[in-house]
Amino acid sequence: MDKYVDIAIIGSGVVGSSIAYHLSESRQKEIIVIDKGFPLSGTSGSTQAWVWVHNKSPSWYGELSMYSAELYPFLEKKIGDVEYKRTGGIAPFFDEEDREKALKLAEKQAEVGIKVEVLNRNQVLEKEPVLSSKIAGATYSSIDGNVNPFRLVELYIKAAKKNDVKFSFYNPVIDIKKESGFFRITTKNEGTYTAEKIILAGGPWTKELGSFLGIDIPVKQVRGQILVTEPLAPLFRHTIAGMRQTDNGEVLIGYSKEEVGYDRRTTMEVIQDTAKMAVDYIPALANANLVRSFSGVRVIPEDGFPIVGEISNIKNAYLAVMHSGVTLSPLVGTLMAELLLEGETSIDLGRLSLDRFEKKSNGAVVQ
Amino acid sequence: MEFELVIIGGGPAGLMAALTAAEKGVKTAIVEESFALGGQLRQQAQVLENLPKEFGKQSGIALAKFFSNKVSSIGVTALLGHTMIGTYRNGTIGVSNGKDTFPIYAKKILVTTGAAEQAALFPGWTLPGVMTIGAAQILLNRERVLPGKEAVVLGCNSISYDIAKQLRACGVNVQGIIEKKSIDEIDKELIEKFESENIEVFFHSNIEKAAGKQHVEKVWIDNDVLKKEREIDLVCISNGLYPVTEPLELLDCEFTYIENLGGRIPKYGSSFTTSNSSVYVAGNAAGITCIEGILVTASIAVTGILEDLAILNNIEAKKQKEILWTELLKAETGRYSKVHDARISLVNDFLPKEI
Amino acid sequence: MDKSTIVCKCEEINIDEIETALKAGACQFDDIKRLTRCGMGPCQSKVCTNMVREIIAAYTGEPMEHIEYPKNRMPIKITRLGVLVANQETSSVVSVFKESVSEVDTNG
Ligand SMILES: Cc1cc2nc3c(=O)[nH]c(=O)nc-3n(C[C@H](O)[C@H](O)[C@H](O)COP(=O)(O)OP(=O)(O)OC[C@H]3O[C@@H](n4cnc5c(N)ncnc54)[C@H](O)[C@@H]3O)c2cc1C
Ligand SMILES: Cc1cc2nc3c(=O)[nH]c(=O)nc-3n(C[C@H](O)[C@H](O)[C@H](O)COP(=O)(O)OP(=O)(O)OC[C@H]3O[C@@H](n4cnc5c(N)ncnc54)[C@H](O)[C@@H]3O)c2cc1C
Ligand code: FES
Repeated sequence: MDKYVDIAIIGSGVVGSSIAYHLSESRQKEIIVIDKGFPLSGTSGSTQAWVWVHNKSPSWYGELSMYSAELYPFLEKKIGDVEYKRTGGIAPFFDEEDREKALKLAEKQAEVGIKVEVLNRNQVLEKEPVLSSKIAGATYSSIDGNVNPFRLVELYIKAAKKNDVKFSFYNPVIDIKKESGFFRITTKNEGTYTAEKIILAGGPWTKELGSFLGIDIPVKQVRGQILVTEPLAPLFRHTIAGMRQTDNGEVLIGYSKEEVGYDRRTTMEVIQDTAKMAVDYIPALANANLVRSFSGVRVIPEDGFPIVGEISNIKNAYLAVMHSGVTLSPLVGTLMAELLLEGETSIDLGRLSLDRFEKKSNGAVVQ
Repeated sequence: MEFELVIIGGGPAGLMAALTAAEKGVKTAIVEESFALGGQLRQQAQVLENLPKEFGKQSGIALAKFFSNKVSSIGVTALLGHTMIGTYRNGTIGVSNGKDTFPIYAKKILVTTGAAEQAALFPGWTLPGVMTIGAAQILLNRERVLPGKEAVVLGCNSISYDIAKQLRACGVNVQGIIEKKSIDEIDKELIEKFESENIEVFFHSNIEKAAGKQHVEKVWIDNDVLKKEREIDLVCISNGLYPVTEPLELLDCEFTYIENLGGRIPKYGSSFTTSNSSVYVAGNAAGITCIEGILVTASIAVTGILEDLAILNNIEAKKQKEILWTELLKAETGRYSKVHDARISLVNDFLPKEI
Repeated sequence: MDKSTIVCKCEEINIDEIETALKAGACQFDDIKRLTRCGMGPCQSKVCTNMVREIIAAYTGEPMEHIEYPKNRMPIKITRLGVLVANQETSSVVSVFKESVSEVDTNG
């Protein structure tokens, strides 16, 4: 059975779902989102979900993150309560020597309009008395916050469904071919879809999707392990670089990085190291109980920045793959909708093109 | 810490294994999360009928004592209050004792974490006064507290028979046993046992709901013929056991699903080796069975371990395993023959991998 | 059975909430877990696993053996963070700050 759609999106994580929703707002196109599992089974269901801006460098990347963070309040008005909280973000440092670097970061970010303060110990403790007095200082910005990633993806999908987007779950895409101008997408359970345009948003599996179309997408897989405590009474208000406290009181802790392919096990080494980080930051956490740990696999383009836009030698095929997809999803969804429906975007996507990697191999400088 | 053999779980299976291994000079440790050895035996006051000859007839509590005395005299390191909570990158187990967390290195790991009780779903199942058999046993036999005065028991099986009798003996009025299955689906011998004790069994029935203000006060028994409302203050749930296998999952053992062994179960071969060649399993963790079966599976696993450690040669090991498998067949007859058949097919499926 | 009957004691999730997740298209335990929090409580689904699996089986018409179990996660038993770090002197976990002031940033 062959089904025709205008746009097929592969991957229903936070990125694919956001794009689907934003594309559907104008209700011009017939859209299907295909996912091999159920949404949230990928990276979007195993994330810290900070909406984080102030440490993102270089500053053009920080600027993109800031625009996205600024879209969140509007997004919530449209799709409902995703528990977005602009808590302000604190990134502590322990060495007085780091103050110099912190000031430099603040200066750079100011150039693009991101307001970063460099706090001393007392100022840090004033903001968050539970933080360790061993902390020398921190960078701080009121723009940072966090969101409930489960609600976010669920509500993107709900809103998209309302606008008639179709979703096909537990249905892996096993091949994609371009034939006489159209994409033929073979799925495991529902036959073939024919689409005019295709968007690859497969998170950590995007490399595989790219290989169907004969392109190499230079991304690496970086595992992160996260600890979750039992629900605690409100302990801290800010998003602290390394941890956040959810609405129901659980503290999510973690910032580990391991390149081990797609392996989502957790290990005692990293659990203990992460616990150590937590207690170094907030000594009172030593008394908190660890209930569970989980891990997620970040998909990180080789230079660290998102790959978003049309693939230059395959007309009508688009890529949306990035780290920090939770932070960036409102902006990426908006820009992709502009690109597919109007052919141009309000923010230049040139820097995010896949082409930059080829340039790099030619010796040209990126960024 | 470093041992040749580390056993996770100090119930009858783990203890039997530790004794046998230590007798052969294997440097053995038991990691047991509670502060006493014996596992589920520790609250079984009834006399265990079919123990292997060398143990005679004794209660679970007595058997637990016997084992723990023996284990400490033979030089097994019993790490009480120690819980295996995870694994390190290379598969070393991670243990916590409430103060500290550390790796324990072992050449071989035997998992004997036993079984857990299956809760039953009906409106009111979370009310105080609705409890599993295990909880009732602990109150009754360990803490010497009466769990209630008027009781019904859900599930007609050998464990519910033991608890019904014990409740009775302590002066609790057991109003009846509620059983989903029909009378012909239940072992005759068991029905006779209930009859001889004058305990009524309602077949083909279920608890429709339980209710009460602070505590359970009433249950509604839904039965094709009789619909009954009973005033009670205790509902004991004996809805079956399932193997506790988290350590095996974290040790990357492969699993399969076999209803007659209790559901999800690690794959293992004729020496109870799992798909992770340094990890063994025995006791109820290897499939829910009778106490004799639990002890024999532990002996088989140890034989495999001794062979792996080159303490037994292949010929001796083979001979011993043959004897033990015959014993296991004998232990798992009657009601347990389905368990044995399931085990045999599990082991046969495993064979190609063992080579 | 009354749809308001609690299935997951720890998170107080009832039959109705699980069926709502099933209707949204989720048909494996872990997917339902992410939508409802069912199974995410302190017991880490030790109590509710099979009851939830039965509800899934009844709804989807699949046999029990096809209904996946939730993924097991460390620690097997609840553990205090202080107990995990008693002997930890250092940590391999880098700080966000350090990373952001080094050249390339991969935050989050
Ligand atoms: C530990 C950790 C912490 C993080 N913290 C943050 C943070 O604080 N802030 C932040 O902004 N970001 C954070 N991130 C990153 C963020 O979570 C990811 O960038 C984001 O979730 C990526 O979303 P996605 O939609 O691209 O990928 P996914 O959520 O993985 O979605 C991809 C989807 O594609 C589907 N798919 C793949 N292949 C196929 C196929 N062949 N056929 C059909 N479907 C397919 C998958 O099933 C999956 O559902 C973190 C990541 C990790 C791992
Ligand atoms: C509540 C209950 C009541 C029972 N009542 C009866 C009865 O009346 N009659 C009968 O014949 N059988 C009964 N049984 C069956 C019982 O399981 C067996 O009699 C027998 O005790 C099982 O032996 P085992 O060695 O396999 O496991 P267990 O006796 O269950 O021992 C397992 C041991 O492993 C430990 N453990 C588990 N996980 C970890 C970990 N991660 N780290 C460290 N230690 C761990 C536990 O604390 C426990 O001590 C009952 C079972 C249960 C659960
Ligand atoms: S009962 Fe569901 S998590 Fe504990």
